[in-house]
Amino acid sequence: MNVTLTVNGTEHTLDVPDNTLLVDVLRGQLGLTGTHVGCDTSQCGACVVHLNGDAVKSCTVLAGQADGAAVTTIEGIGSPDDLHPMQAAFRDNHALQCGFCTPGMIMSAIDLVQKSEGLDEQAVREGLEGNLCRCTGYHNIVKAVLAAQQNMAQGGN
Amino acid sequence: MASQNGIGAAVKRKEDARFITGMGRYTDDLGAHGQTYAMFARSPHARAKIVNIDTAAAAATDGVVAVFTGADLKADGIGDLPCGWLVKSKDGSDMIQPPHPPIAVDAVNYVGEPFALVIGETLAAAKNGAEALSVDFEELPAVVDLASAARTAQIHETVPNNQCYDWELGDKAATDAAFEKAHHVTRMDIVNNRLIPNAIEPRAALGEYDAAAGSHTLHTTSQNPHLERLVLAAFVNVAPEAKLRVISPDVGGGFGSKIFVYAEETAVIWAAGKTRRPVKWTAERSESFLADAHGRDHVTHAELALAEDGEFLGLRVQTIANMGAYLSTFASSVPTYLYGTLMAGQYKTPAIYVEVQSLFTNTAPVDAYRGAGRPEATFVVERLVETAAREIGMDATDLRRRNFIQPTDFPYETPVALTYDTGDYEASLDKALAHVHYAAFAQRRDASEAAGKKRGIGFSCYIEACGLAPSQVAISLGAGVGLFEVGEVRVDVTGSVTVVTGSHSHGQSHETTFAQIISEKLGVPFENVTVLHGDTGRSDYALGTYGSRSLAVGGSAIVKATDKIIAKGKKIAAYMLDANADDVEFEDGSFNVTDSNQSLTFAEVAFAAYVPAKYPLDELEPGLSEKAFYDPPNFTYPAGAHVCEVEVDPETGVVEVVQFVAVDDFGNIVNPMVVEGQVHGGLAQGIGQALLEHGVYDDTGQLLSGSYMDYTMPRADDLPSFTVDTTTTPCTHNPLGVKGCGEAGAIGSTAAVINAVTDALGVASIAMPATPETVWRTARGE
Amino acid sequence: MEQAGEYRIPAVRKEVWRALNDPAVLARCLDGCRSMTPVGPDEFEADIGAKVGPVKATFAAAISLRDVVPLHSYRLQVRVKGGAAGFANGTAAVQLKEVDGGTATMLNYRIEGAIGGKLAQIGSRLVEGAARKMTARFFERFAADFASA
Repeated sequence: MNVTLTVNGTEHTLDVPDNTLLVDVLRGQLGLTGTHVGCDTSQCGACVVHLNGDAVKSCTVLAGQADGAAVTTIEGIGSPDDLHPMQAAFRDNHALQCGFCTPGMIMSAIDLVQKSEGLDEQAVREGLEGNLCRCTGYHNIVKAVLAAQQNMAQGGN
Repeated sequence: MASQNGIGAAVKRKEDARFITGMGRYTDDLGAHGQTYAMFARSPHARAKIVNIDTAAAAATDGVVAVFTGADLKADGIGDLPCGWLVKSKDGSDMIQPPHPPIAVDAVNYVGEPFALVIGETLAAAKNGAEALSVDFEELPAVVDLASAARTAQIHETVPNNQCYDWELGDKAATDAAFEKAHHVTRMDIVNNRLIPNAIEPRAALGEYDAAAGSHTLHTTSQNPHLERLVLAAFVNVAPEAKLRVISPDVGGGFGSKIFVYAEETAVIWAAGKTRRPVKWTAERSESFLADAHGRDHVTHAELALAEDGEFLGLRVQTIANMGAYLSTFASSVPTYLYGTLMAGQYKTPAIYVEVQSLFTNTAPVDAYRGAGRPEATFVVERLVETAAREIGMDATDLRRRNFIQPTDFPYETPVALTYDTGDYEASLDKALAHVHYAAFAQRRDASEAAGKKRGIGFSCYIEACGLAPSQVAISLGAGVGLFEVGEVRVDVTGSVTVVTGSHSHGQSHETTFAQIISEKLGVPFENVTVLHGDTGRSDYALGTYGSRSLAVGGSAIVKATDKIIAKGKKIAAYMLDANADDVEFEDGSFNVTDSNQSLTFAEVAFAAYVPAKYPLDELEPGLSEKAFYDPPNFTYPAGAHVCEVEVDPETGVVEVVQFVAVDDFGNIVNPMVVEGQVHGGLAQGIGQALLEHGVYDDTGQLLSGSYMDYTMPRADDLPSFTVDTTTTPCTHNPLGVKGCGEAGAIGSTAAVINAVTDALGVASIAMPATPETVWRTARGE
Repeated sequence: MEQAGEYRIPAVRKEVWRALNDPAVLARCLDGCRSMTPVGPDEFEADIGAKVGPVKATFAAAISLRDVVPLHSYRLQVRVKGGAAGFANGTAAVQLKEVDGGTATMLNYRIEGAIGGKLAQIGSRLVEGAARKMTARFFERFAADFASA
């Protein structure tokens, strides 16, 4: 089937088998390997991207379901020279070690902050319940999200 | 030089720029032209004979490139996967190592063991091919229960009673005599639950064969690519060592599970040569659960003998350790030299005797997982000590203080073969108690009680031995490899520096901390230092990353290499400045002639080394690049005090960790931000073991906790924020005075949590993980 | 996995026993059964379409009757090879007893099952639930078959 996706602002029309997952289109066909796959039961969150502005696990979305949609991946939110406040907060708070869960974690965290107000530590912990990290014990991730919340409120994205 | 990016500074990480922007390059992100995909067919049975494998339909499946069975690998001369540490039994006999073909040939011995691989043009084709395999298994009764595994069916023809070895350490007679004198004996039965490591990046491999060069290249998720290459070349016979390059690119966590040489990358690199096509495999999480080496899994009976005043007189430990179905790469060393040797803990227990029987079962192989033996040892010692305190009515911290090895006692020789070089255990405990506000605990307990909750506090004063060493001692005890590390410091023409290390970073931040060392030692700007790692084509043979060794061993090798750079630089500078080399000092990045204003920058000397206009070429080689191998004279001994406070809801059995304080002595610290992060992660894994995680097989050997639906990983809302602090007694025998921090969190924390939960419930013991159901039942006396 | 049940069937035992040995009846009562082919004495091969959670698949099952005591009892053994998905084995011990002076028959069953491989790893709860439902449904239909006859 033909699928048209606007990924990080660029429109792509792709011919894919009906059962193709969004994550496989992103990683395999578009080479956007920042979105990771860490499990096969939709529970680790390493594959989280934004679909029309909502955080989704791209391992659980068919490419066909995303036809016509705007997809934002980790590659689309900032660059080393122009980091998204959430990316900067992750770096500044040492909220990552091996980096594998990081893209999904950042994409979930951005969605969480954008859709909530005045998140406290407990709310951040609950909000990130769908993303697994094995390195950090979440301590610094929570710190980073709380810091980014302030920066995003002060005019970031 | 006290540079803002030098040793001791909380420098932001170099690694992060790529990871936070999605530009990390992990094995599965790589691809090769003409690449094919491997799918492994895995046993659904815990124990069965392979009667027949019919590959015809699989081979005829659309898009299938090749189908290989264990027999194909065997016929091609591919050897068994070896275990790298030969442990001897009490009677002096060698451990028994059953044959471990990478792909099963005649029999399968755990659910998930691969018996064939199918190579497809696409992953879907490979999967369809694997689906089309027709296999006749003759099912046999599985051996699953560890405690009775020596008395049931024999799994391997060559291994009577399923016993790998029956090992001992310590003086049995002296220990028995100590128990004779005891005023009180605390006895415990302890189960250390099986864990499944679960690095979030699943294992992966991309094998390539260059027919023109006759050489293989393997990209894989390894913590130690040189070890991978050595084993694949020398033992498995995939290719000669010089014709095999192993590269570990960015690796998404390891925690021990990526130390080992596994069936999958072995088969993938071999198949690339056979098919003359690149072959790629990435584990699905379900495969990781089945086929990554698991951790822990001990059944122990332990006894502590005390004098009337609480002095420890003797410790007796009997452990049965689960090896799983085959010996993984370092499995045999984990419950012996990394476990029995730690039984002195922080205490002056004069007599200790440890017996360990390692048994095979029809479960996934068990090997090192963060801490590897030391968490199990700490759990035994610290549960015993806390329980003894409760039994004799003494404060648990007072009983520990009564028995601590004192700062004046170092070097301290334990009765279990180690010599601790330094430490101050009371300092860590004092600091931890201040953080946790121990004095006010009784009030907090009363407040919880009033709210219908039960509050408890638990302690764990752990010691670990890191940077496994020295080589000669380890080899004399059965290690099959040396334990040194290599570091190379290549000064570029313009004075920037490239460091090549044999250590591997998969979260540990080597690119940052090693650059800090260079920046400190050579005065080179931090941003001008690049650290390369993870490639047998780049660095000399070395041992990689495990056992919290990277900084203590790998970092020391780098320091040795920088010392050589400075020594050579002084000679070059002396010649250029017409001075005597003995009069040249190196400080803050410049070579200065003493008692003069003559000086050269590091960059000027580097340039002269490569553009030798004025240069003593008859005495010195041009260039400024040095390499050093470092073999430590002893282990390092990080130690610390962990305190956990929990609140239990007796109605639901839910345990809330309300406070967790970790005060650790890691010696000198290069980057405190990184160290704190390492501790946080370790704590999460240790708390996870205590409260959440459990690898469970049913009695037929089916893995029931085989996905994130059933294996409870710690999530953000399961954990508190931690209080992490340090004390410092520098390591006495390495140039940085560092000890290692990667495993401490996982080693100390588990016992603290269980000590707190049992304190809250007022029970002697509780099974791990202390899930709400277990807590609820235990509280009701079930 | 264990499960048991009991049905009162309004037919004489001889008829019930005959039906229990009739592949056509077995096929009709087994949810999703597309074919049931005798391959030997008391041995059948069946294709069964089953829906387990979100997964719909066709399984080849080997069915055999064991420990046959005519008119009284047998064990119905079902072995399913699911390829890469693993395996599922089940045995139903069936007993017949005359009741109401022989005008009706009491059918007792007790099943035991085991699953392995990926089915057990990922789907133990789903598969067990599905297998229970399928078994219960089989005997329910079997009993209903007589009621409507």
